[in-house]
Amino acid sequence: MLIDIVDLSFAYGHRIVLKNLSLSLSHGDFLIVRGKNGSGKSTLVKCLLGINPVKSGMIFFEHADIVGFRGWTKIGYVPQKSEDFNYEFPITVNEILTVSSRRSTKNSQKLKLLDKLGILPLLNENINNLSAGQQQRVFIVRAMLNEPSMLILDEPTASIDKDNVAYFQKAVNELHDDGVTVILISHDEAIEAYRYTHVLTLDSESDFTFRNRAQHAFWKEGAER
Amino acid sequence: MMLSFFTDLFTQEFLLRMLVAGILLGVLAPLIGSIVVIRRLSFIADTLGHFSLVGFSVSLFLASIGLTFFFEKPLYLGIIFSIVGGLLIELFRRYYKNYKEISMPIVMSIGTALSAIFLSLSNRTGSLYNYMFGSILTITNYYVVIIAITLGIVSLLFFFFGRQIVSVSFDESSAKYQGINVSLFQFAFIITLSVAVSVLLEAAGVLLVSSMMIIPVAAAMKVGWSYKSTQIIGIVFSELSVILGLWASYSFRIPSGAAIVSISILILIAVVVIKRILTRKRVKWSREDVSDNR
Repeated sequence: MLIDIVDLSFAYGHRIVLKNLSLSLSHGDFLIVRGKNGSGKSTLVKCLLGINPVKSGMIFFEHADIVGFRGWTKIGYVPQKSEDFNYEFPITVNEILTVSSRRSTKNSQKLKLLDKLGILPLLNENINNLSAGQQQRVFIVRAMLNEPSMLILDEPTASIDKDNVAYFQKAVNELHDDGVTVILISHDEAIEAYRYTHVLTLDSESDFTFRNRAQHAFWKEGAER
Repeated sequence: MMLSFFTDLFTQEFLLRMLVAGILLGVLAPLIGSIVVIRRLSFIADTLGHFSLVGFSVSLFLASIGLTFFFEKPLYLGIIFSIVGGLLIELFRRYYKNYKEISMPIVMSIGTALSAIFLSLSNRTGSLYNYMFGSILTITNYYVVIIAITLGIVSLLFFFFGRQIVSVSFDESSAKYQGINVSLFQFAFIITLSVAVSVLLEAAGVLLVSSMMIIPVAAAMKVGWSYKSTQIIGIVFSELSVILGLWASYSFRIPSGAAIVSISILILIAVVVIKRILTRKRVKWSREDVSDNR
């Protein structure tokens, strides 16, 4: 198992957001986390990333407890709209990727990823001159640079225009085909373009359903009738 | 009189000393300043300057009660207090998690109040002027050595940890997943910044220390096309400001900090104006191209 979530609950003060959530993912799975705003999608991601302290329940990453976890480089993270990035100061795509690489990361790996995401010609461009969609792809390359076992994408298409969304979905599917485990958070209904293996739906009553692709398709068919 | 600065350089030892100190500070200020700008902490240098002043005031106070060691070397206490100020800022930032900027005015007012108390107790308020606006003309040899050591350490930090420094500065939230210890970086950065600010105080003065770190970088940001080029242009602008500022300070008998910062502001204005003109021309050319093609 790559990820094991056991009875995870989380509350902000008295407001319970996640209640007794349990699920397991294996290497190579592709999980889509769906739910409306405030349903706990970002809270769950923050628990997985060690930003929210897990007090009730447990999360294991490759059998290691997330409390006191040290192997964070095994996780590649693309934040929502990358709003935490300090824009405006000039820095090129190449410079961002160079400072984000570990010493063991090969240059060829960087170029291969840039090519896969279709932004190789932008290598020496200032990040501030790129569109939101291009910037998002740079951050995916950055997250993938150190060959993590898992990629977490938080609402990655929120700031991308329609034309780029299709390109983006294709790129994520290709990374998954290469064997990368993906967790993608989406408030969007249109998830069929992704080659996901599991869907986790969170609702505002801190309830959840965890289905594999076949179960999700069966449920969807029933719901549409 | 205006040229005597350059001829006097070869005859007056203090002038040469001042120039060497200025050139070293001219590299140190934008090197640290660029990280301060990227992390949006411009106000922090100001706060640390005010807290560093406590060290200088305490040195004067100690001298007035007979302890003269720190009077000759006030920088030591200046550095120590600046570091204390930096740690206080971090402490308050953790305490007020959603109002991080609140830590600055708190620490700054503590610094200002304590400085005023110790200065008046020491009966040496006259030296306040030099601390406020900079007095690099009176710089001593030991000071130049400390500046050189600080610059040496900062350069080594950039040489060995530049990758991590830049990565955390641009994106703190993702740095953890690149295997960077963000808390350790925060701590090391605040200590380095504290030391740099107190070292810069002699040249720039409390009120202008943050300007000396930030304005050349702010101008360079508008011309640079990459991180490296912006860093280099920032250092060039900073050196220009320092050398011309020292000349103006000596020639017109004005405080060094005020002179250096005024020149850097002139550079910033020039950059903004030239950039505007060039952008307008470019728009005009491209419009003409479009109409020609029609």
